[in-house]
Amino acid sequence: MITVQHLTKNFGAQTVVSDVSFTLEDGSFTALIGPNGAGKTTILSMLAGLLKPTGGSVKMEGIKDIRKEIGFLPQYPQFYPWLTGVEFIELTAKLSGISARGARKEAEKVLEFVGLKDAIHKKTAQYSGGMKQRLGIAQAIVHKPKLLLLDEPVSSLDPVGRREIMNLLKQLQRGSTILYSTHILNDAEEMTDQLLFLKKGKVVEKGSLNEIREKFDVPRIRIQFAGVEEAAGYSSQTEWPTEVEGNVVYVYIKDHFPTMQQVMGELSNSPFTVVKVERDRLSLEEIFMKVVSP
Amino acid sequence: MRTFAVLFQKELRESWRSFKFLWMPLLFIFLGISDPIMNYYMEDILNAVGNLPEGFTITLPDYAPADILLASTGQFQSIGLIVLVVIAAGMINRERQNGTALFIYVRPISFAALYFSKWAVINLLAVLSVILGYGASMYYTAILYGTVEPLLFIQMVASYCVWILFATTIALMFSAMFKTALSITFTVIVLPIGVLVQSLIGQFWNVSPWKLADYSVQLLTQSENEYYLKTLLLTIICTVIFILIGILFTRKNASSVKV
Repeated sequence: MITVQHLTKNFGAQTVVSDVSFTLEDGSFTALIGPNGAGKTTILSMLAGLLKPTGGSVKMEGIKDIRKEIGFLPQYPQFYPWLTGVEFIELTAKLSGISARGARKEAEKVLEFVGLKDAIHKKTAQYSGGMKQRLGIAQAIVHKPKLLLLDEPVSSLDPVGRREIMNLLKQLQRGSTILYSTHILNDAEEMTDQLLFLKKGKVVEKGSLNEIREKFDVPRIRIQFAGVEEAAGYSSQTEWPTEVEGNVVYVYIKDHFPTMQQVMGELSNSPFTVVKVERDRLSLEEIFMKVVSP
Repeated sequence: MRTFAVLFQKELRESWRSFKFLWMPLLFIFLGISDPIMNYYMEDILNAVGNLPEGFTITLPDYAPADILLASTGQFQSIGLIVLVVIAAGMINRERQNGTALFIYVRPISFAALYFSKWAVINLLAVLSVILGYGASMYYTAILYGTVEPLLFIQMVASYCVWILFATTIALMFSAMFKTALSITFTVIVLPIGVLVQSLIGQFWNVSPWKLADYSVQLLTQSENEYYLKTLLLTIICTVIFILIGILFTRKNASSVKV
């Protein structure tokens, strides 16, 4: 388990990360979510030991030199262009303490795992964006670290590449604890145990996706009418509190009333043409906007 | 120690693949042979070019082998030195700036090992180039002008190598200190311009690392120079101090790596 307590970072007078605390359970998958400049990269850099925190601590149960147990993937990985893929992974494996003989074997194994088997003898200068991302993941996992820190692992990729990398990470999750930052919310929605919402260097919300959803959900029923007048007509007629947006009427639910049945009963007795009735849920994106917007 | 070996291999590989181990010695060899040959054939060159007024005669001085080696040293001190220290001045901060160093810094390495891997490779390159450069110069000097005492020659080359170690150490220290290419500016000011200042107003002091190159060549002719040993010692002490400062800043500025 990794415990982060009161982590703070100032650059001069500017506070970039302010009193951030959270824990990462072994084998969990946690997303750091926040707009640009919220301090995601700074937090990851501090966990990786690249930046010294101004205050607070990062503790890993039973481990002294945290650098031995960390794999780190930066947002824009830059490689030595004069090394081939396998030479690079071999170098990083050796620096992480794998024996000279084992390093080559591990490097080949991990490159096959990330799908670069055919390119291992190519110079990294010739790698495409997606291949570089895979190579970056390979160097982060070659020494089998306990904690994997990934900074925007999929943001620079196209939808296909994104899917492939997420699948890779899913396979990985069985072995490591993963903390990754993202602003692409679909990824987070899909496979994350814990969400940390950041805003201006502070954690403003944390919990599982369901917990956060319940907290921010405004229970309401969304009714779509055929026309604007009909929506306005229904809204003025009904006894429930409503809000009109064009041809859509939101009926707010308070203390479980009205129920869906009640609304539908009312609608079937009315002269208005209904296109769609549904229990409205906030998407993660809407929650994100709610949480991080001022 | 293991980290050093791994990083040393990496640095060596980089220098090898960028052909530094080819063109740097070639540059020094070229600089080394240019003086003995140019001076020897100067009269022929002037005659061949013609254009000299009727009855005009030049008397070229009779050079001793030591004079030629001094001229070669001048070449190394101007062109060779600049190329060498400019390379050294980018070794640490360039990697930080373009972000490639990140994958090394996040691993459990010692920054002393990181520093020494770079120090060792640049000095291997420097010493190799200097030896080949002086070797080439001596070869043609011996053919065209005559030889010098072999032991003194070896002593001179070794002594000059101490100066080169000092120069690359300063450049590497600036590379660790500064986050940008400012390190190159400082290196050029302190080293090649330092050499220039030395040659202009150097008569006002006697002991300074910038004098070591001159004193090295003087070993061939002057039997006794009371300042030589002091200068040599001072240069070595300064080199050690600059190495320590370099390691310190390598560690301190590690967090400036681009993430």
